[in-house]
Amino acid sequence: MDPYYVALTTITLASIYGLLALGISIIWSSLGMINMAQGFTFALSGYGAWLVSQYIGTNGVVVVAGGVLTGALAGALVGGIAFIPLYDKPNFPLRSLIATLAIAMLGSQSLLYWFGPRVKALPKVFGVGSIHIGSAVASYDKIGTIVCSAALLLITLAWMKRSRRGLEIRAMMQNPEGAALVGVGLRSTAMSVMMMTGAMTGLAAVLLSQNFFVSPFAGTMPLVKGMVVALAGGLGSVAGALIAALLIGLIEAMTAVELGGQYVLITQFAFIIAVLLVRPRGIAGMIEHTRE
Amino acid sequence: MSTGQQSTPATPEIGLVGRSRLLPPLRAHGDRTWRRWRVPFTQRGALDYITAFNPISLVAERRIVDKRLLWWLAALLVLVIVPPLFGNDSFIGAGTTFAMFSAINIVWMLTIGTAGIFSLATLAVVGVGAYGTAYLSVYWGFPWWAMWIAGPFFGAGFGVLIALPAIRLEGFYYALLTVGVAELCRVWVVQSRTLGAANNGLYGADGFVPADMSTTGGITLGYFLALAMMVAALALYTYVNGQRLGRLLRAAPEKHEAFAEALGINYRAARIQVFLISSAALGFVGAFYATLLHGASPSLFTMDQLLLLLAMIVIGGIGTTEGAVAGTLIVVLLDKVFIGLGPLRLVLIGAIMLGTVLFLRGGIFGVAAQFKNWTAKRRSERRAVSRGKGGIVMPEEATEIHDKQNIAIGLFQLRLRGELKALVNDALIEEHRTTPRSRRSDNLERVLNYFRMAPMAEKYGVLMVKPFAEYRIVAISGRRGVPPRAVDDQMFTTPEDADHGVFLKRVQDLMES
Amino acid sequence: MTDLLRVENLSAGYGPLGVLHNVSLTVRAGERIGIVGLNGHGKSTLLKAIVGLTGWQSGSIQYNGVEIGGTRSQGPGRNTHKIVRMGLSLMPQGDALFHGLTVSDHLDSGAYTPKAWRERKQRRERILSIFPPLEKLLAQPVGKLSGGERRMVSIGRGLMDDAKLLLIDEPSLGLAPKISKGLVEALMQIDLRDGAMVIAEQNISLLEGKVSRLVGLHAGKLKGGATAPDALLSEHMHHRH
Repeated sequence: MDPYYVALTTITLASIYGLLALGISIIWSSLGMINMAQGFTFALSGYGAWLVSQYIGTNGVVVVAGGVLTGALAGALVGGIAFIPLYDKPNFPLRSLIATLAIAMLGSQSLLYWFGPRVKALPKVFGVGSIHIGSAVASYDKIGTIVCSAALLLITLAWMKRSRRGLEIRAMMQNPEGAALVGVGLRSTAMSVMMMTGAMTGLAAVLLSQNFFVSPFAGTMPLVKGMVVALAGGLGSVAGALIAALLIGLIEAMTAVELGGQYVLITQFAFIIAVLLVRPRGIAGMIEHTRE
Repeated sequence: MSTGQQSTPATPEIGLVGRSRLLPPLRAHGDRTWRRWRVPFTQRGALDYITAFNPISLVAERRIVDKRLLWWLAALLVLVIVPPLFGNDSFIGAGTTFAMFSAINIVWMLTIGTAGIFSLATLAVVGVGAYGTAYLSVYWGFPWWAMWIAGPFFGAGFGVLIALPAIRLEGFYYALLTVGVAELCRVWVVQSRTLGAANNGLYGADGFVPADMSTTGGITLGYFLALAMMVAALALYTYVNGQRLGRLLRAAPEKHEAFAEALGINYRAARIQVFLISSAALGFVGAFYATLLHGASPSLFTMDQLLLLLAMIVIGGIGTTEGAVAGTLIVVLLDKVFIGLGPLRLVLIGAIMLGTVLFLRGGIFGVAAQFKNWTAKRRSERRAVSRGKGGIVMPEEATEIHDKQNIAIGLFQLRLRGELKALVNDALIEEHRTTPRSRRSDNLERVLNYFRMAPMAEKYGVLMVKPFAEYRIVAISGRRGVPPRAVDDQMFTTPEDADHGVFLKRVQDLMES
Repeated sequence: MTDLLRVENLSAGYGPLGVLHNVSLTVRAGERIGIVGLNGHGKSTLLKAIVGLTGWQSGSIQYNGVEIGGTRSQGPGRNTHKIVRMGLSLMPQGDALFHGLTVSDHLDSGAYTPKAWRERKQRRERILSIFPPLEKLLAQPVGKLSGGERRMVSIGRGLMDDAKLLLIDEPSLGLAPKISKGLVEALMQIDLRDGAMVIAEQNISLLEGKVSRLVGLHAGKLKGGATAPDALLSEHMHHRH
């Protein structure tokens, strides 16, 4: 086993899972909604990036921007359909969950109808090649993935920490009525949350499509992975999601090397179920516990 | 009961006793229900009757409290007769799909509704049952009846596995996990060579259709068996809900578990028990699926199939069996009728599902209740806003007032106020101020009598702050131990002045009403 | 003096329940008004109705001549942020704080206009001069503060922006008498400039003699109207406590 390879794969996977899980986690904690349409956002962003690469340019920056922008728009669409009409209605959590599931079904079938079942490949946005540092080899793909997602994660976290909008989102996570009393509009803040998380998913879609193809149902696996990472990290916790992303990335890399690719999901699930049996609220619950 | 055995007690004869009508006692008079027959060997019955006088026409009426059983019987009759008689093979095949999915959804209701476990791994359990029994048949040569016996064991075994996290996880956390479990199963069967990764499914299992039966005969047999399975699922649902287990769980609904726990109800064990029962039932459905299609396919584990199943119960309304069956009917019909549209028909189903969840609270079977709720809310808001418009009772409100006498009293008060208002003028007020109490005119006395009739709460009174020097007007609270409150800061020097002050206030209130 | 807030014939409630019945109230600039009344008689509902947090309402609420109430039956809180941004600040009874955020985050969250957001450091200083005990707690999460400190944070948050009309709901609720007295003192020290303050309070003795007028709220109706403090009313309120 090559430790450099495992470490690099772990960090690559962790950064993508982190993007996906953080989106789900932030939406859950600020809007109280489980966004099952994240997979649709993912697939749509892949197609958005593909369209951009077909009609506008194959420059890496342009393609990434296309994916991120499509993701933000898809996030806004999901928010407009599943959150805005429902949030003050009775039984909101269940109904919004079902609404996002309906969007997932509608969306993926529309994509299938529109683009056909044939998969599409995105251009290599980071170019082909690799860097050698001592005995370690790192392909441009992986480095690009790590740098891009780390940059977006850091920007997002800094924005959440420093800006007024970020403070508003954090306030809304804690107490929506109190937030309204300090002039936070629930709807506009919700839409900005949806667009932000959509953009994160869009970036993840472009990055992951470097190795996989763009297809109407490409979003299911990332959705499931993002969700279980968010679940293991403790829904609503940024730190927990990041730690869980690292751990699950590590497990995936180790399993792939030691046992073989088909066991990845099984070991991951065994890990998650073990975590959840010990801490039903995920790893973040663990952190809070030790802090006390 | 004297009239109990008569076959037509609906409208007893109405005789006259003096000037009032005689209303003879009815069977199970009041709000109590009675029943004609009961299920043999049990204390239970179906079709509860209620006998009561119609509040408006005063005619004795007998009605069935819950007519759903009759609807079910009628629907089942239609299902038994229509497809085999009038349908072609593909129509009967669609009917089989419908009956099988109905059975799955009814059992799913048991998990979601009764056990309160929001599991999305329902189809995965069916899939495990189908794959497990198909495996036994393909590799070990199990015949179809042995597969049916083995199915529940696979279902229950898988149920134990996925019930483990359900002990600790709540609501949506568990829902998310089960989606992942289904995906895990799909990836597993797609990759495993023993489970038919190459053939896109594990096929070659034994079927229940005898070899010498015609194609149509086989399809019809499948249909009736599926229908029987649906009825069995209904029976299971009713049985679990009606027995101790279901009642324990009804005492421990979501977010109120602590109360049930305080009463000594072990709701967790009960939930897991129901979950395992429904898993075993789903395992049987899986075995049936395997014997019907001679194998199992990975599509059982896909997200899309799961969403289709969810669309069924969402459209029908989560929480009721009739909703589950009706939703299944709608979705299966759409799916089969518009099969030429390809993916577009799934878009259509998704759109209907989205519309249902956005606008309806409880699916199509909740529309009536939702509409009633909405009008009631509207009405009560309007009434709260327009309170104090006098005693007029609108006809639609009259049905909600229990004591009908209050309607008449309200109307009388309204008319009385109208007449008294006409009497009040400056001369009358002047008369009250100047004339001694014993020599008041008839009109003034009428007005005063009305004032005296007012209920004690909020009635005005005179408070003596200092004898012969300071008097104030107060409003009496009407409740024992609660002192009167000051009405305003006017001060009077004699009791007569204060008395007149009260009079003026009352007159003002009367004129404003 | 101009009318800052004019409430006319306001009825409000939640679902089928009507809590306020035809309430009219005028608040002029520079005034401090105390609304007194017992628990459950509609004080909080009146303040909530003004910022649009009740289930439904009818009647008119004008702030600076602009209609902010009107008849509505849609869910609560839909327009609250817009009303708040016009310059009303409600410091609610339950505090409505964000338990995981720090005290300084809380104070910042009250600065919703861009101007206030830029000046948030200076404004925070100003709040700290009103409530000195908060100085040491700035980095603490609010969930760990005591009741009195939370109330200070809640009021401080409401003072961060240039709110003209301060609506304060039960400043003394759940606090020790000494602390609540100090809190009311601090409230009286706040410079209103051309704004106004409305305090809803059960304990009339806290406000007596300190506010420009007292209004009683009984069973959802204003009593004592817009008159001077009513001796008898207050006497009997004492009697009740």
